[in-house]
Amino acid sequence: MIENISYPGPSRSPMRRYMTWLCAVAVLFIGALRVQAEAADTEHQVKAAFLFNFAQFIDWPPSAFTNTNAPICIGILGADPFGESLDETVRDETIHGRTLVVRRSRKIEDLKDCQMIFVCRSEKKNLDEIFAAVKGKPVLTVGETEGFAERGGGINFYRDGNKVRFEINPAVTRQNGLRVSSELLSLGRIVKSETKGKSE
Amino acid sequence: MSWLRDIPLKRKLTLVILLTCSSALLCACVVLGGYQMIDFRKNMKRDTVVLADVLAKNVRAALTFEDENAAHETLLALQSEPNVSGACLYDIDGNPFAEYSRSGETIQFPEKPEPDNTRFRDGHLRIFRPVNLNTKRVGTLYIQAELQGLHNRLILFIGIAILVLLASCLVAILVASRLRRPIVEPILGLTETAREIADRKDYSIRVPSQGRNEIGLLTDAFNQLLNSIEERNSALRGANAALLQEVTERKGAENRVIAQLARLEMLHRITRAIGERQDLQSIFQVVIRTLEEHLPIDFCCVCVYEPAANQLIVTSVGIRSEATAMELAMTEQVRVAIDQNGLSRCVRGNLVYEPDIVDSQFPFPQRLARGGLRALVAAPLLVESQVFGVLIAARRQPESFSSGECEFLRQLSEHVALAAHQSQLHMALQQAYDDLRQTQQAIMQQERLRALGQMASGIAHDINNAISPVALYTESLLETEPNLSQRAREYLTTIQSAIEDVSHTVARMREFYRQRETQLTLTPVQLNQMLNQVVDLSRARWSDMPQQRGININIKTELAENLPVVMGVESEIREALVNLIFNSVDAMPQGGTLTLRTRVSEPVPAGTPLVIVEVEDTGVGMDEDTRRRCLEPFFTTKGERGTGLGLAMVYGIIRRHGAEIEIDSVIGKGTTMRISFPAADLAKSNAAAVNTTFTVPTRLRVLVVDDDPLLIKSLRDILETDGHLVVTANGGQAGIEAFSAALERKEPFAVVLTDLGMPYVDGRQVAAAIKAASAWTPVILLTGWGQRLVAEGDVPPNVDRVLNKPPKLRDLREALAQVMPTLNS
Repeated sequence: MIENISYPGPSRSPMRRYMTWLCAVAVLFIGALRVQAEAADTEHQVKAAFLFNFAQFIDWPPSAFTNTNAPICIGILGADPFGESLDETVRDETIHGRTLVVRRSRKIEDLKDCQMIFVCRSEKKNLDEIFAAVKGKPVLTVGETEGFAERGGGINFYRDGNKVRFEINPAVTRQNGLRVSSELLSLGRIVKSETKGKSE
Repeated sequence: MSWLRDIPLKRKLTLVILLTCSSALLCACVVLGGYQMIDFRKNMKRDTVVLADVLAKNVRAALTFEDENAAHETLLALQSEPNVSGACLYDIDGNPFAEYSRSGETIQFPEKPEPDNTRFRDGHLRIFRPVNLNTKRVGTLYIQAELQGLHNRLILFIGIAILVLLASCLVAILVASRLRRPIVEPILGLTETAREIADRKDYSIRVPSQGRNEIGLLTDAFNQLLNSIEERNSALRGANAALLQEVTERKGAENRVIAQLARLEMLHRITRAIGERQDLQSIFQVVIRTLEEHLPIDFCCVCVYEPAANQLIVTSVGIRSEATAMELAMTEQVRVAIDQNGLSRCVRGNLVYEPDIVDSQFPFPQRLARGGLRALVAAPLLVESQVFGVLIAARRQPESFSSGECEFLRQLSEHVALAAHQSQLHMALQQAYDDLRQTQQAIMQQERLRALGQMASGIAHDINNAISPVALYTESLLETEPNLSQRAREYLTTIQSAIEDVSHTVARMREFYRQRETQLTLTPVQLNQMLNQVVDLSRARWSDMPQQRGININIKTELAENLPVVMGVESEIREALVNLIFNSVDAMPQGGTLTLRTRVSEPVPAGTPLVIVEVEDTGVGMDEDTRRRCLEPFFTTKGERGTGLGLAMVYGIIRRHGAEIEIDSVIGKGTTMRISFPAADLAKSNAAAVNTTFTVPTRLRVLVVDDDPLLIKSLRDILETDGHLVVTANGGQAGIEAFSAALERKEPFAVVLTDLGMPYVDGRQVAAAIKAASAWTPVILLTGWGQRLVAEGDVPPNVDRVLNKPPKLRDLREALAQVMPTLNS
């Protein structure tokens, strides 16, 4: 899985004289980066698997799909942290007869007909807009930002030691017409929406 | 089922019911228990699978989101299930994810999940179930459950089953005790009746009827059976009684036959035993002993009948009867008078049986009864219908002789009598045979002696002829020549004496073979004188011969004074005495004393006194048998040395002299022979002596016929000396011719002297011829056999006088005087 992950590295300079030297430094540097990147990657791989799993424990209303065979669409809003891993996870998987597709976009408008939208950290400032856009729609929002769920998100990842955990705001999901399985509820931390005044 | 056989019917029935109930219940319980077990396990499996599935559903989210805590908490819900001891959750890669163990237990879970299954293993229920999420497997759940519940349940079930079994058995016993009664009681009644019948043998008992079921039929059949048994029983009893009687009779008959056979066997044995014996005594002993032992009887004896004295002599008494016989004074040789009772009938030839003699009136049975004897059988011993003895058998038990035994005794007595008779005949025959043999031997001996005697006789004849001239001339010389010198006369006397001795010796030799009594010319014999002579004569034998062997025999004479003379033949008495002395010497091989004694016995009234001669020795003596037989001819104790004739001859001589002989002998002490002669009547002997005077005729014409010229010459000389005219003829024929010629010349001979033994014509023929020619002419026969002729009564016809050779002058003269009486007168 590690080999399959490709990172965008620094560009390679053409200067041959310094090439070997640079290479060694680069290797050391890159090595350090890779360790960091790997940790980040492992976390997101888990999160990718969790995303798929969430789809399995949540029932969308039929109105969420255009037809009965329409795929479940996972939208990634902002800077995609998963790379290939999410695509790998959902490839060839079906849930209740529906295939899964991943859509990436910077704009919430592009992702309005997705059943699940992962909101990246990059969109931390736009949360209220996002929540407003999907409010009342059968869309599950998943974030990895602190206070995401309290502020109106459906499910939010957080870290507990080196483990990935999640919290759920059942009021939001209910408000969006989603039915969350009790098993999921029993696993996640239940949070409540903040008052309106505090939301930012 | 053999153990069931001896159990009483009541208990058997109860047992059968109980066993049936129990086995049915047991089967039910086992089936039910088995079903329960299987059902329990199935349920348990199903429940646990359901539990596992529910649990799998509950943990799938936790597994999906890798929430161990959540998973563990979910598994903790199993605490409410007591059977489940542990559970383990494995993720999709097979790694254990969460575990649960019931508190207090440590369970070793499998490291990797096995394929999905549900099975009982090692006393546990082990279940592997998949954990699925949306038809996709996400892990495996393993649950391990204990079978404790199953065991508890099983124990409970078994307890209940036992209780139920006990309860049902109790109920079954109660029910059975009520229900078996109609079955068991009639059968028990039947059994009781059967036992009673068997015990009392009373077949009249009947079983009361039991209704119309099978038992009723059984009792009816039993009763019918009893009826027929009763009938047959009575018939059988009758037959049995008849049979028993018959068996008893046959047994008796068989016993009698056996006893008879035994007696026959005994009879046979006795017969054989007595057949082997010859003497009466041992025959009787065998019979008595066998009877005592095998019949058996208490007293047995055999008596011999003496018709003359009309009494019985007890001859043999049995060994066992000995004591009783002593008591009864019936030992051997005792005489028993024949009384009027049984014994007289018995000696008339009848078998007498007295069943009980205790009250008998007669002496003989009373005598036996005193000895404790009660039953008596007296069997006669008959030979040719003559009773010669009686067999007496008695027992202490009264009436104890059966008719068979009486018959047996009768038959036995016949056999015994026959055997006894035969034995007597045999003994008589033996006696006759012995006598015959003895006679034969005597005759043979006599024949030998006769042959010897004939030879001796011939010798004697020749000697007599030879010495006749000597005797005649000697006598004539002594008589007719008074001028002979003293010396010549002495010599002639000696010659005469010697001739006389020779003549006597020859005469004795002739006597030796002679058996018939000689015509004794008894002369008075002075025994004292003769004893002295005999001592001298036998000196060689008692003195010289023993001394050669170093033995000394003393001879003593004790002679009575004034011993009367006895009449006898001197030479014979001498011979007898010599013989006695020889015997005494032979009886003293170690030496001893021989005493010769004479004495006169005490005067016997109305009889002549006896002159006794004793010859006594101190020799070996004789035993009784020898003493009795020593006088028999040919009896000798000297073996080949003796002829057995010595004492016989002595005895003959003594008897001829009318004397007696006694022999006293003690073995080792000696023998005394005592001869008693009757003393001579002197008057008679004097009368005899008168006859010796006679007148001698002279001048007779005498014809002397002889074949011996010497004798002719001597006779002529002697006769011519006496003054006779003598014509001699040599031989018989010449004599007859001479006599005839003289008769024709009218010069007949007055007397003829002729020899007896001559060749061709002997003395007898001469005498006959002379008598034929001139009947009145006396013939005197001269013979060397003279004494024998006289002794045998063989004085031939036509002979007037016989003279012995050698003739004595005196005898010749006497004979001439005797035959010529007419001339004398």
